[in-house]
Amino acid sequence: MNYLRTLATLITLIVISVVFAEDAQSVIKKVDSVMYAPKDQKSTMKMILTDKNGNVTNRAGVALQKGDVNRLIRFTSPADQKGIAFLELPDDIQYLYLPAFSKIRRIASHVKNTKFAGTDFTYDDLSSIYYSKTYDVKKLEEGEADITLELKPKSENTDYSKLIMIVQKESYYPSKIDYYDKGNNLIRTLNRNKITKFKNYWFALEVQMEDFRDNHKSQMIFEDVEFDTNLQDELFSKRYLKER
Amino acid sequence: MHKIITTILFLTISLQIFSQVKISGNLETQNRIRIQNEGEFTWNKNSMGLKFEGNPSGDIHYFSEISLFSLGIPQVNQTSDLQDKDIAYTWGLEINELYLDMYCFLSDNLDIRIGKQIIAWGTADKLNPTDNLNPDDMSDIFDFGKHSGSNSMMLAYYLGDYTLYGVFVPVFQPSTLPSDDWSKAFNTPLDTPTGMNVVSFEDNILLPKNELTETSSYGFKIAGNMLDYDLSASYYYGRDDMPLLSSVKLNAVDTLENYDAEAELVYPRIQVFGADIAGSIGKVGVWGEAALIFPEEQKLKFYVNSALGGESVILEDKPFIRFVVGGDYTFKNNVYLNAQYMHGYIHERGVDELNDYFILRLERKFMYDKLNLAPVSAMVEIPDWDDIENIYGIALGSEISYYPYDAFEITLGSYILDGKGNSIFSKAKENDEIFFKLKYSF
Repeated sequence: MNYLRTLATLITLIVISVVFAEDAQSVIKKVDSVMYAPKDQKSTMKMILTDKNGNVTNRAGVALQKGDVNRLIRFTSPADQKGIAFLELPDDIQYLYLPAFSKIRRIASHVKNTKFAGTDFTYDDLSSIYYSKTYDVKKLEEGEADITLELKPKSENTDYSKLIMIVQKESYYPSKIDYYDKGNNLIRTLNRNKITKFKNYWFALEVQMEDFRDNHKSQMIFEDVEFDTNLQDELFSKRYLKER
Repeated sequence: MHKIITTILFLTISLQIFSQVKISGNLETQNRIRIQNEGEFTWNKNSMGLKFEGNPSGDIHYFSEISLFSLGIPQVNQTSDLQDKDIAYTWGLEINELYLDMYCFLSDNLDIRIGKQIIAWGTADKLNPTDNLNPDDMSDIFDFGKHSGSNSMMLAYYLGDYTLYGVFVPVFQPSTLPSDDWSKAFNTPLDTPTGMNVVSFEDNILLPKNELTETSSYGFKIAGNMLDYDLSASYYYGRDDMPLLSSVKLNAVDTLENYDAEAELVYPRIQVFGADIAGSIGKVGVWGEAALIFPEEQKLKFYVNSALGGESVILEDKPFIRFVVGGDYTFKNNVYLNAQYMHGYIHERGVDELNDYFILRLERKFMYDKLNLAPVSAMVEIPDWDDIENIYGIALGSEISYYPYDAFEITLGSYILDGKGNSIFSKAKENDEIFFKLKYSF
């Protein structure tokens, strides 16, 4: 009798977990909606670059974002990088301002997988990505606190074979992403730490990208983070790309 | 001059202490050694660039950039030169830019910039036929595509995805030319009648009259985005900033057909209709830029012993087109390739005078941009496609830059020039050099 009761309980638990467990697609859609929830955001950032010998170099900048695809990043130091600015606009249009040439250059797609200004972040990393639109998603594991997803690119026009993403259940914020090359080797890892709730929005105050091919990492530390300050559309234009 | 330096230092310190002026700049040394001529030391320039800028209010911005430099090679020819420190130790002060921005002036969509400024038009890489508002600065031939600032006023009106520009330059400013050993590459030898020997040569530059109608220039541009491409169309009314011969006077110095030559040079009026485009084809970045130039007819008068000996048209009033098309691509192994084709260099005027140039640069960055290798920078000049074997020019350079610390750059490089016949690089083929640069930005 006891055996049957245990079996019944087990079946009930399995049915409940199947009914209430989220499928991968709904998880990744929640990730997208959490990542791009704020109407706008602005922050200052420090960037710490560490090479394989432990040598450290620093950068500083400001970051602005409005909606999901208007994004501007401008370096404020060191002196030879000051003023370099990256602008992302809808329809995958990206511009780079190089003060040394007083010119705004449009970023062609061959540049998008290259590293931005000597950091471990590529131009693509800095741009907005809707994971649900870009990847086919499969759930690998669900723990008490997080969900592990496998993301495979829908397009072949990428350097990666798959991404393994860990999503925090509490916030639906992706806290870690492993990037695998076409030979299925782990080549980069993105870690988002100090995931904090500001009013209604979750935000990682520290983001670190580590490249295992070069044993190099870049850490971004965000400060003075503000949300929904009604940033004007004009800030995300070539007019404002040059420092003013 | 010492007062100027004292004033700059005083201003620098005062501004830093008492206001919110942002000060930045750089220290730089550039050195060049000629491979020919037993390693002649041709260039030793040590400079300090200083930038001041600030925003006293949200709608006002000011900016200035000055350069204080010392040329390390003494310009001493006689003992009296040794009594003048400015000759023995040549130095100078340049104001590159000095302007005031007024944002949202009268309208939220209008920005105005007044003062000495560099206005960079065109989408091609460093070679921009539509960029005519500022004079070319060829004083350092290595500083490819550099322009000097012009005292001017620029209006920018933003209308949705489009921007309208209007520029007014009240006073004409000529180009600066390369030093003697390089200027020969751009000059055409004086064509004198058979049997005449020119024993001395002197020239006079005739600047436009200092009247608004003669000396001023202006331009308009509309820029926007269409079908995933950045496009612009422009118009410029002004003067060619490179001088052109207008008369040559030959005066006999003896009865043996030896003459002194005296030339006059002017700056012809030009109108330029320009257009440019930038975007991508597949993964390749592409750009194109063209300038349709309508020159004023220019005649060259020859005088022999004060009598008019002849007259010919040196520049016809027929329109001609200078253009550049190019592209760039980054390969999987991070090798960057930039290639351009140019028809007509800045000093070439008239349909029949435009030569063809192919420019290519290969580059690869290592160690997270700390090491930058450019093994090949090449420019091939083809003046005559029917006689490539006998008339051509090649410039081949390579460069290595290392950034051991933040904002600190060390560059070592070389270039070799070769050619045959009447080509730029053929005329300067004795000028192969090795160069070394140190730069620290603060």
